[in-house]
Amino acid sequence: MVTVVIGGSSSGKSEYAENLAVQLGQDNLIYIATMEPFGEESKLRIKKHQAMRSSKNFKTIECFTGLDKLLLSAGNTVLLECMSNLAANEMFSSSGAKDNVFAAIQKGIMNLSKQANHLIIVTNNVFEDGCNYSNETLEYIKLLGHINQWMASIADQVIEVIHGIPVVIK
Amino acid sequence: MVLITGGAFQGKLEYTLNLTGILKEDIMDGENCTMEDLLNRPLVNHFHLWIDRMFRGDRDIYELMDLIQTENPDLIIIVDELGCGIVPMDPYDREYREVTGRVCCEIAKIAKEVHRVTCGIGMVIKHD
Repeated sequence: MVTVVIGGSSSGKSEYAENLAVQLGQDNLIYIATMEPFGEESKLRIKKHQAMRSSKNFKTIECFTGLDKLLLSAGNTVLLECMSNLAANEMFSSSGAKDNVFAAIQKGIMNLSKQANHLIIVTNNVFEDGCNYSNETLEYIKLLGHINQWMASIADQVIEVIHGIPVVIK
Repeated sequence: MVLITGGAFQGKLEYTLNLTGILKEDIMDGENCTMEDLLNRPLVNHFHLWIDRMFRGDRDIYELMDLIQTENPDLIIIVDELGCGIVPMDPYDREYREVTGRVCCEIAKIAKEVHRVTCGIGMVIKHD
């Protein structure tokens, strides 16, 4: 089963997704962390997320690019946090898929969904603010929009989190 | 408390006035309302601007929220749902956006109702 959890920044989507994973997976929980620790702010952010899930018994696997090559043991509930970072890594990082991001992400998600009992993907709503962005940023927004639509089309359920409140939209 | 959220310019204030019958003269604005206003009057608009002022002034927002909840438990709060965009370049903007999101999660937890307004149409997403 595939669940997509979407929300804005600081909307409570991570906490909701973690709790959902715990409900579904109990002891067999894998957390795929996608944020590359560049600079103090992202290191702090990573620490904050680690603290938030510390009591939930996730096994953390870091994966910044190349999700399609990840091999997991069978029977797990897998939480991927989050697509907005993974897409940015694939687009901008030296090991990323560059011009081929959409296909790489599709392959990566299919790879995970085959191996996981439950796959929960957290993604970001970055679409409702401003329009004065560089072309590069606009490309990223467009790409994440396409990825979100595709993920929602293959997902069994899609949940939008608003100030910590889950709203089922599929 | 009742929380009314949604993007900017979605008709949140008009929706709230229609819903509650509160008069225009009873509205306070987060941009300039005092703590005394917040403890006594029924409706605050642009609450994110109040959060901005308190955050800039290094005030303990959660402590103030506790006081408001105790003294004015029926307060209706209208807030812009920030956070649905690209991470801002400016460090203060990043932090302010995050604090506003966290405070809204806390308000949503204690609120008896939460409405989300898009295009002037409200959807009740929490009702105790």
